[in-house]
Amino acid sequence: MRILLAEDDALLGDGLRAGLRQLGFRVDWVRDGDAAERELRAEPYAAAVLDLGLPLKDGMEVLANVRRAGLTMPVLILTARDAVPDRIRGLDVGADDYVVKPVDLNELAARLRALVRRAHGQPQETLTAQDVVLDPAARSVHQAGAPVVLAAREFDLLHALMLNGGRVMSREQLEQHLYSWGQEVESNAIEVHIHHLRRKLGSALIQTVRGVGYMLLRDVPKP
Amino acid sequence: MQGRLLMLVLGLVAGVWLVTAAMTWIDVRHELDELLDGHLAQAAALLVVQQAREIDDDDQHIDAPTLHRYAPKVAFQVFHDGRLALRSANAPAVPMVESGEHFRTGFKTVQIEGTAWRVFAAHGGKRDVQVYVGEQVSSRAAILWAALRSMLWPVLVALPLLAVAVWWAVSRGMAPLRGLGRTLAERQPQALHPVVIEGAPSEMTPMLAALNGLLERIAGLIESERRFTADAAHELRTPIAAIRAQAQVALGEADDAQRKHALRSTLEGCDRATRLVEQLLTLSRLEAGTSATTSTLDLSALARQVVGDLAPAAMRKGQAIEVDAAAAFEIAGDSTLLAVLVRNLVDNAIRYSLENATVKVTVSRQPTGARLVVEDSGTGMNERDLPRLGERFFRVLGNDESGSGLGWSIVRRIAGVHRAEVRVARSPGLGGLAVEVDFPA
Repeated sequence: MRILLAEDDALLGDGLRAGLRQLGFRVDWVRDGDAAERELRAEPYAAAVLDLGLPLKDGMEVLANVRRAGLTMPVLILTARDAVPDRIRGLDVGADDYVVKPVDLNELAARLRALVRRAHGQPQETLTAQDVVLDPAARSVHQAGAPVVLAAREFDLLHALMLNGGRVMSREQLEQHLYSWGQEVESNAIEVHIHHLRRKLGSALIQTVRGVGYMLLRDVPKP
Repeated sequence: MQGRLLMLVLGLVAGVWLVTAAMTWIDVRHELDELLDGHLAQAAALLVVQQAREIDDDDQHIDAPTLHRYAPKVAFQVFHDGRLALRSANAPAVPMVESGEHFRTGFKTVQIEGTAWRVFAAHGGKRDVQVYVGEQVSSRAAILWAALRSMLWPVLVALPLLAVAVWWAVSRGMAPLRGLGRTLAERQPQALHPVVIEGAPSEMTPMLAALNGLLERIAGLIESERRFTADAAHELRTPIAAIRAQAQVALGEADDAQRKHALRSTLEGCDRATRLVEQLLTLSRLEAGTSATTSTLDLSALARQVVGDLAPAAMRKGQAIEVDAAAAFEIAGDSTLLAVLVRNLVDNAIRYSLENATVKVTVSRQPTGARLVVEDSGTGMNERDLPRLGERFFRVLGNDESGSGLGWSIVRRIAGVHRAEVRVARSPGLGGLAVEVDFPA
C-alpha cells in the first residue's frame, strides 16, 4: 500500500517513514503543505497521513483543497493539536480519521488499513476473491485454507488488485501503487509479478485485458 | 451610600429648620416685645390721661371688672398721690414696682409672687397720678411658642415624607450600580465579554468603559496564555512522538545499521525534548517575574566565555566563530540571565547558519551604552519573517534545524528585564542575520 506522509518535523517524519515501511507500507514523505497537495493531486495514494502544522500551507488547507478537487482517498490527520474544535474542524473539512501525537506505530498502521479497506467498500478485515483470502494486517494470503507464500511486491500487487476487484487496472496505475519515489521500476516488472502470482494462485484469478491492463475477478467466471 | 445620603439630606433639612426656628424666635420675640410694650405704654398713657381728668376726689379705689380670659395675665394700678385709686382684680395693692425714689416712668420686669411681670410705669404730673400697667411675661412666651409650633408641625410631618422620598430617589438612582453588582456576581470566571447595563446613567460610563477595558485586556492575556499552552503542547508532543516512533522502529528493525540510526534518532529526540523543557522553564521563570540579581559585570568577558562554550558546536559544522570584544565593558545586570541571552543568540546563529558559515560576536561602545551584536553569514531571514521573529514558537519555515523558536522569546524577555533594546536586521558585513542588543549606560 502506498501512502503519502506529510510531516515537517525531520526526526518524527524519519521515524514514521521507517516504522510504516517495516509494517509493509510504501511511504512517500513530503515536508511542506505545497508538496503534499501537489503529490496528492498527482499520484494515486491509497491513503495519506497529514500533519496540520505544515510549512507553506496548513494541513487543513491542503485537505480542503484536495477534497474540493474531488479526490476521495482516505486522509488521516496526525497532529499535536488536541483541542476538540480542531478535531471537529479536521473531520468536517474531510479527514477520515484524527489522531493526536504521539501515536503507536502499530495503531497508526491499523488505522490506515481500516481506512483503505472502508474506502474500497470492504468492511471486513480481510479481502476475499474466489477462494483466495488476503489479510492486510498479517500480510498473509490463503488459498482454499492453505497458506500461500508471496514476495513483498507480489503481495502488494495482489492487494492492489483485490482492493480494486472487478476493475481494470493499467500497468502504470499498478506501478504507482507498488513503488515509492526513487525506486527503479523495470519496464516489465508488473508482468513478471503477475506471472508469479498466476503460477502460485492459478490463472483464473487475474485476467489480462489486452492493451489496457489487468483485472481481478472476485467470483469464478461462469463457463 | 443610600444610608449616608439619607442621613445627609435629613440632617441638612433639620439643621436648616433649626437655624430658621432660632432666627424666627429672636425676630418674633423682638417684634412681640415692641408691640406689647407699645400696648402697655399706650394703656398706661390712656389711664394717666383719664385719671387726670375724670377721677374726682372720691378716694375709694375701684376694682375694674375682668372682661376677657386673657385679663388675669394683664394688670394695672392707678395711684393718686401715692394712694391706690384703681386696680385690676388681679393686681396687688402695693405698687408693682417699688417706686417713689427714681423710677416713675419706663419698663421694668419684676417678680410678683413668684411670677415674672413686664411692667410699664407712667406718671402724670397733675394730681400726681402714678400708673402701672403689667403683663405676665409667660403670656409672651406662650405667644412665641405658638408661633414656633406653627413652624414645627409642617417640618415634623415633612421630615418622614422627605426621608421616604430621598430613600426612593436614591434607590432608583443606584439601581444601575446594583444591576452591575448583580451582573458581575453572576458571571462565570471565564465570561470576559463586555458588561452592558441597560439604561446606565452617563456618570457610570467611564467606570463601565474602564471595566470593559480591563476585561478585554484580561481576555487578551488569557488568550495568549491559551495559545502558548497549545503551542507548548504541540512543541512537546512532536519530539515525544518522534522518540516513540524511532524507538518502535529500532525495536522492529532487523538491519543493524537501520536500528542504530533509529536509536541515535531516539537520543536526538530526547535531547530536543530536554532543551525544549529547559527553555520553557526559563521562560516561565522569566514571566513569573523572577527579579534579576543585578551586579556589575564585564559584557565582553561574558561574551568570550559563552562563545568559548559553544565553539565546539560551530567547529563540528565547519563554521568559523570569532569574538570582537577586546575592551572591558562594565554593565549592570544579572550574569546568569545575560549568559542565557548571549548563548541563545550565538546558538541560534550556529544552528541556523549553513556549514562553513561565519558567526561573529561584537561588543562595542555606543553613545547610549554598550552594544552586543551577534551576526552570521547564514541564509538570514527574509524580510517578511523579521517582524514575527519574537513570537513564541515561531520558527523559520523550510529550515532543517529542529529549533522551537522559544529562544527568541527568552532573548526578548531577558533584554526587557535589563531595559535593553533588541533589533534584528540583515548583517551588513556578513550578509546573514544580525541581532543587536543595546544596553543602557
